[in-house]
Amino acid sequence: MSSIPASDAGKPREVSAMHRLAARLRSVPELAIEVLIRLCGYSAIFFVFAIFFFVLREGAPMLFGHMNLWSFFTSTDWNPVGEPPRYGILALLSGTIAVTAFSMLIAVPLGLGAAVYVSEFSSPKIKEILKITIEMLAAIPSIVWGFIAYMTLNPLIIQLTDAPIGLNVLNAGIILALMSVPVIVSVGEDALKAVPDSYREAALALGASRWEIVYRVLFPAAKNGLLAAVLLGVGRAIGETMAVLMASGHANQIPATLLDPVQTLTATIAAELGETNQGGDHYRVLFVIGILLFAIAFVVNLTADLVVKGIRGKQNV
Amino acid sequence: MSSNSPETSRRASNRRGIARLGTRLDSDSLNASKLDSRAALYRYYLCPLSNGTPGDGTLERPWPSLADVLRDIGRRHGGDAPSVGKLAGYDRVEICAINGPGDEPPPGKKPRYAFYVDPLGTSDEEGGGTALAPWPDLEAALAGVARLDAAGGLPLQIGEHLRLSVREVFSATPIDRRKRRHETVAKSVFLLMTLLLVIPLIAILAHLTVKAWPVLTASFVFENPKNNMTAGGVWAPLVGTFYLVFFSLLAAAPIGVLAGVYLNEYARDNWFTRIVNLAVVNLAGVPSIVHALFGVGAFVLFAGMGESVLAAAFTLAVMTLPVIITSTKEALASVPMAFREACWNMGASRWQTIRTIVLPNSISGILTGVILQVSRAAGETAPILFTGAAFFVNVPNKGLGYFFPYALDKSCMALSYHLHVMLTQVKGASPEQIAAGEGIPLEHLQYGTAVVLIGLVLAVNSVSIGLRVYLRSHKKW
Repeated sequence: MSSIPASDAGKPREVSAMHRLAARLRSVPELAIEVLIRLCGYSAIFFVFAIFFFVLREGAPMLFGHMNLWSFFTSTDWNPVGEPPRYGILALLSGTIAVTAFSMLIAVPLGLGAAVYVSEFSSPKIKEILKITIEMLAAIPSIVWGFIAYMTLNPLIIQLTDAPIGLNVLNAGIILALMSVPVIVSVGEDALKAVPDSYREAALALGASRWEIVYRVLFPAAKNGLLAAVLLGVGRAIGETMAVLMASGHANQIPATLLDPVQTLTATIAAELGETNQGGDHYRVLFVIGILLFAIAFVVNLTADLVVKGIRGKQNV
Repeated sequence: MSSNSPETSRRASNRRGIARLGTRLDSDSLNASKLDSRAALYRYYLCPLSNGTPGDGTLERPWPSLADVLRDIGRRHGGDAPSVGKLAGYDRVEICAINGPGDEPPPGKKPRYAFYVDPLGTSDEEGGGTALAPWPDLEAALAGVARLDAAGGLPLQIGEHLRLSVREVFSATPIDRRKRRHETVAKSVFLLMTLLLVIPLIAILAHLTVKAWPVLTASFVFENPKNNMTAGGVWAPLVGTFYLVFFSLLAAAPIGVLAGVYLNEYARDNWFTRIVNLAVVNLAGVPSIVHALFGVGAFVLFAGMGESVLAAAFTLAVMTLPVIITSTKEALASVPMAFREACWNMGASRWQTIRTIVLPNSISGILTGVILQVSRAAGETAPILFTGAAFFVNVPNKGLGYFFPYALDKSCMALSYHLHVMLTQVKGASPEQIAAGEGIPLEHLQYGTAVVLIGLVLAVNSVSIGLRVYLRSHKKW
């Protein structure tokens, strides 16, 4: 504090009461805007709870009422307009799982491979072009993907495989893979980028090639981030609605082969909610499925976050 | 890295080998002939038991003694030998002692003696030919080996062999070459994977455009659908999409930007902030159809809006909020801390700093996120399915109503939902209608709608990307 002139050093500053009042008055708008900013900051939490609350509110009378949860999960019989109506989602669940699993089989290697290429092998210019392309891929609306599945992939699959219908697990899996790949690439690339350059330099100094750096250094160092990328891709695939509605064939059965049409949880809501009476059993069951989907998405995202940041929120890289 | 991987153990043994080279070798697992076929291996045979029958060094006709072999090697690989036989790179010569003609020694055995030739080496000709003191050329090596042999220092038992290796320091080792090969393969595979993502995008865009080409005219964009949606264009759905995007933006942008400001400028690094961040990620991860259910439960029913433009727009706003929050947060984080500190030092308050320094310096980044939200909102179908998208709305074809056809408390058409409808619920114009000029083939309408939608979304996206690229090239710090 040697810069303070000696004459001021010992004296207390004189602040009049007027000054203090003025300062406080000036800070009123400041406080107001700060409160507003904080409220907006908390809005994400508010909306997550609101979504849960309002979906539960519509589904609760059924969920806690006369619904048989055991047969809900274990029966493949989904016949909400039958007499009596039957609500078994096992086939829907298996449809979602089959489509998601098959799409991940394609999307995970491609996505991680592209992430590695973009992050480690490409020149800055190519990298920029590839990233823009992948953003474009992510920007294609899901209904357009559904359109492509329905109008283009469908006849193509019929032609190539002699299947009676081209709307099936194969079709939906390919479409979903292309839809969830951008998430995997961008999160995976972030994970690889987060590995400190000193790791790469150390490996180079030891004589490692770039491929050796990738699979001996980067994969182990970024494995949590890459896992999170895969999980977010899974989340995207499970939650996708419109594309799957049009690509999956919408047939309530447990698929035995890739060429079987299936029906997924999301597509069921999209296809049937419009035909139900508001407040009816069928209507409420669809909201119960919504709660299930919300829970699945929540768990997937929470797991991805914990995987990346660890329990205590430390970056693991 | 596990210590027992083949690569690691090979390196370790190689290192061990170097310490002992030139003397008797007990362990040397570096078998270069397996690693790289381009390193030539010449093999000569000698048979001490053949009683002086002259040979040519092959397995069938071995030489009787080491001296003969050395002379032969000198003739074939020495200074005046044809370039084919010249030893270079990592070539090796092996001299095996065998029991009799045609008696191949067991493969893979380590040499009893190993000597080295290094053209760039600095040692003199009197060096022992060890790894640390290699001979400078083949002549010196042969002379050296002959000298050692004459002194009785190289007794070769049957089945043992002597190895003479060339080591050119600055040529790629077999390991290097293998590494480079692996790297090329890996790079190609990764490139292929990336291309497998790029190609479908190009193919899809090209396919859609080609299919929709006959119908892609200005009148298709600016005409309302007519004749039970068998003719006309996509103007009404397009305006509906503008309505939805505008109102969702009006709701989401202020909240999203302020939330981003909170997370980057106000929030401390504690568990609560972590939960807020987690909520943002979760909000982004909620399936779109669940957002639709939320919209039905909260806006349509609870708030009593009914199926309306506002209910659909608010549903879209909640859904796209995380996009704005995340990109705002990133844009603010890219403003250097020194800017804020300088401002605080001038006596500015937190909000003054944000308003006058942080926001102006990050406005383009924030806009990028806002534009991205627009493109997301324009393309979404599921959230508006039950909250405000209409199958068909009869809208005026001229006047102010042409531009503002919808009431906020009524449902509207939207481009994305219109595509869904065209695909699943509309029966196309009959051949007679088409012949009479009253209808357009359904497929053309479908592809046209898809192209307008994807064109709109990609155009908005390109603006966002362009802004980002411009921003990066004009960064002031």
